Amino acid sequence: MILRSLWLRPTLAQPTRALITVLGVAIGVASVVSTLLASRAAIASMSADVQSVAGESRLEISRPGGFETSDLEALRPICTEALLAPVIERTALSPDLGDLVRILGVDLLIDQELRSIRLDATGNELEAARNSMLHASGVAVSESLSKDLGIGVGEEFELVIRSRKVTLQIAAVFKPERFDSAWDRFILADVALAQELYGFEGRVDRVEIKPRLELNLQQLASRVEGLLPPTYQVQPASARRDEGERLVRALEFNLTALAGVSILVGIVLVATTLATSVVQRQNQIALLRSLGASRSQIARAILVEAGAIGLVGGSLGVALGWIGADSAVSSVRATVATIAEGVTPGIIRLKWEWALTGISLGFFASIFAALLPLREALRTPPIQGLRSQHPQSIAGRPWKMRAALFALLVGAAAFFASLPPLADRPIWALVSALFLLSTLLVLAGPLIDICAGIRPRFMGAGAAISIRLAQAALEASRTRAAWAASAVGVSVALAVSMTTMVGSFRQSVVDWTAQAMPSDLYVRPLTTVGGASAGTIDPALTEVAIDTFGADFVDPFHQSSAHYKGNLILLGGAAFTVVAQHGGVPFLDGRPSREVFAEAAERSAAVVNEPFARRYKVKAGDTLSIDTPAGFIEREIAGVYRDYSGHIGRVVIALEDYLKAYPNEGPKSIAIFLPPDQDLESSRANFMQALAGAYSVEVLNNRELRAEVLRIFEGTFAVTIALQIISSLVAAIAVIAVLSALIRERRRELAVVRVLGASRTQLFNLVLSEAFLLGLAGTLGGLFIGLIVGYVLVTVVNLQSFGWSLDFVIPGSIFMILMIVIPACLLAGLAPAFMALRTAPRESLHANG
Amino acid sequence: MTPISSDSLLAAAPTRNSSVATLQSVQRNYRRGKVTVQALKDVDLCIERGEVVALTGPSGCGKSTLLNVLSAVDRADGGDVMVCGLDLRRVAESELTLLRRRKIGVVFQDFQLMPNLTAEENIGLPLALDGQQDSDRVLHLLERVGLARRLGHYPSELSGGEQQRVAVARALVHRPEFVVADEPTGNLDSSNGKEILAMLMEIRLEEGAALVIATHDKEVASRADRVVRLRDGQVLGAHS
Repeated sequence: MILRSLWLRPTLAQPTRALITVLGVAIGVASVVSTLLASRAAIASMSADVQSVAGESRLEISRPGGFETSDLEALRPICTEALLAPVIERTALSPDLGDLVRILGVDLLIDQELRSIRLDATGNELEAARNSMLHASGVAVSESLSKDLGIGVGEEFELVIRSRKVTLQIAAVFKPERFDSAWDRFILADVALAQELYGFEGRVDRVEIKPRLELNLQQLASRVEGLLPPTYQVQPASARRDEGERLVRALEFNLTALAGVSILVGIVLVATTLATSVVQRQNQIALLRSLGASRSQIARAILVEAGAIGLVGGSLGVALGWIGADSAVSSVRATVATIAEGVTPGIIRLKWEWALTGISLGFFASIFAALLPLREALRTPPIQGLRSQHPQSIAGRPWKMRAALFALLVGAAAFFASLPPLADRPIWALVSALFLLSTLLVLAGPLIDICAGIRPRFMGAGAAISIRLAQAALEASRTRAAWAASAVGVSVALAVSMTTMVGSFRQSVVDWTAQAMPSDLYVRPLTTVGGASAGTIDPALTEVAIDTFGADFVDPFHQSSAHYKGNLILLGGAAFTVVAQHGGVPFLDGRPSREVFAEAAERSAAVVNEPFARRYKVKAGDTLSIDTPAGFIEREIAGVYRDYSGHIGRVVIALEDYLKAYPNEGPKSIAIFLPPDQDLESSRANFMQALAGAYSVEVLNNRELRAEVLRIFEGTFAVTIALQIISSLVAAIAVIAVLSALIRERRRELAVVRVLGASRTQLFNLVLSEAFLLGLAGTLGGLFIGLIVGYVLVTVVNLQSFGWSLDFVIPGSIFMILMIVIPACLLAGLAPAFMALRTAPRESLHANG
Repeated sequence: MTPISSDSLLAAAPTRNSSVATLQSVQRNYRRGKVTVQALKDVDLCIERGEVVALTGPSGCGKSTLLNVLSAVDRADGGDVMVCGLDLRRVAESELTLLRRRKIGVVFQDFQLMPNLTAEENIGLPLALDGQQDSDRVLHLLERVGLARRLGHYPSELSGGEQQRVAVARALVHRPEFVVADEPTGNLDSSNGKEILAMLMEIRLEEGAALVIATHDKEVASRADRVVRLRDGQVLGAHS
């Protein structure tokens, strides 16, 4: 009975209100679900890749710089117990597809015992295919790649490997037995051909081990380690997947945290709606209480309403999220490709547990949102409702209590912001941001008072009266108005904080590129349509550059992996003497780049990037011991440089030292500094001529390079624009919900105003003024708190997530947000304004006489 | 939404004859579910300038409907309604708004003050809606209703009687040609009721406005120049 009276019938009478709230929850759940599904698709694809490509191998032997095939001899003692398979696994660019393809180089004679690849050929065809693969440039391609390229057996296709175009022939097409997506765009080649293509003669990326007998893997691994030099690592095949998964999960965490923002706005929306409905039904609650309804019965009715909103919104959100996941996949594809090379998200699969998670998220978010309105409802004594003719506003808290609560929340935010990351993730900093956002609930009331207290003296009496009446209406419905302002405030705060973070990041990147990329020309491998580049440049190209410009003007940057204290890091090699002349990356301590590189070159020292220094807590002057294929290299740190190109720790040593430890697989990029008297464009033309079309590389000038960096940057942060739109949408929904409720409740009051002579225009303006004031109050609060949250994101979250210290910059674009949010609130006021116009003056007088 | 022209004919068209409102064969029907209710049946009524007319009759007899029609709040379905020289059945909605704003004052049974406007602001509301400000006039009326010291108070800080005084001042602030009052003493105790009624009569006399008052109270009716009795939407008779 209570349920019917308090919830079911009012909901049926005003289905739009319920639908709007459900939609708010659905949008929040949908953004979380689509983000999770997209990143899980990446993880699942990666997992399937490793599992499928690894086949039946159980252990892998690897080493930064590759496994030297001559060391296979040392493994002879275990040959009877285990099958050893050398593997090269790389990526190449397909100019036809504009995308990366993967190449797996294996020993064809023994590999069939490991992997479930069946060539689509029989008898003589199969024999011919094998011959072509073993003795010529024949490769087997997956069925899906053959289809994408539109060619079949016997036909040739081009790839760009190490900046050179190579032509391969399809010897056979294979159909994977399992994990179709894992073998998408896959090329199977003989290991010798792969070594030749990648200039990796005498080495392979890893040696896979399949035990022939039921052996203890731990013991086998120990035996293998005992047979090989100590620089080799023996790990289960799944270790590579774990590393990739760790990187994708870190990305997932950040994306989910961003998507979680919309859930937060959804919570405020549900809270706003429930608070409105509680205040609207306060008389009914009071009446039911005086008729004997217990507090728990009232609470049950409100929680059932919240739960129902959450369940329906959650279910709808899961459906929307599933649909939206496809587009989310494309937005995370590029990012995933850059952090875990060669991995792209596969097919989106909605598992029942994810659906359940989404629905639970909606349900619990709604129940959480119901807590404050519930408290207000339970505080309603029976007498209050009966005494009043109209719903009364709930009295605001005394300002002292409000100030104490505000101080408490800010104190908690400061405390959590000062805590170190939890499991390498800025969880406490995000909790701090939540506390800061929750201060908006405390600030909204006073802000409404301020907005309602400003007298529009500069306006004519005719126009001012609409605003004055709107202010009076907001004062009368302070609690509900405060809820709506909070919803707007949270949206604005999120938009402002994200804009501040992105703006600060952008400014830091712009400044950084200006200092870190001073070269006049920049050579890099061809990139995919999405901007991802893979592989290296043919070492011969470095020679061409040196011949053209001189050794003092060319800085080839090489990079490979190494271990530091057992962890995988990046080890770079750069021409320190060249950089010392021309300048390079900026250093954290502000020392001139030339000075640090000159010192590093002179003392055979290293420079490390900021993420490395932060993660391993090292500083200039400390000594590092880096585990390389040539053994441990000890280097003093000459300086810590700012690095926004990645968040993996990187150590850079002098190129000549690097090349002693690693084979020359070619540089990742080449920076060219022009001698003072040379013209840029003619120098580029001369260099391109010198390359004589033999290489497929991009040669960018400095302006193009910086533009490219910014283009990638903008693309990476495009997702924040979508989240800002979602936030604004939910804020507008909150304004519509609250204003509609206020108008419905004040029909008689509005009718009285009409009787007193207000025109329809004045009534319309009155409601729009309310929307404007709600928007203004929310925006003021949101702007203030948003900047503080932005500061936490820039100085704490970024630092803990990526190890990047950024300069806090307030971008001018935050004012664009204000120019969007307030008109959005006015727009949201249109529907209630038109509703108000339908108020007939006669509703003010009782038609009972 | 029809915009209101600032100086419509209303402003320039004072009532030329002695009556402020004339109703002839007025009908007003409502639908309640599937049933059509005849709220007013062939009502003829004339309100003279400065006259006090009491509308009496049992609940549901059509008093409020008649007040709605007279005060340009509702339109009749049939007959002729001339108020302050305007044919209310034929003028645009914007003209009705202007009429209410400038020529008619209304006092409600339950006061109907704006809860978050002060007494002073509530009284000045009709002027403000017309783009005017006349603090002297508002203060004068506040004094007249004995609330000069309460000008900054909100309705919730005033007693029922005080709230109705504010409502009376509001109804008269723009010097209307006539005032309609729907049971103005209905929510007050008898002494407050008497006081309010006396005040209403007195001020409207000073202002020269006609007053149409719907009431159940015989004492209120006895103070009117004329009593019009209604039953089932029809005028049964009138006596002075």
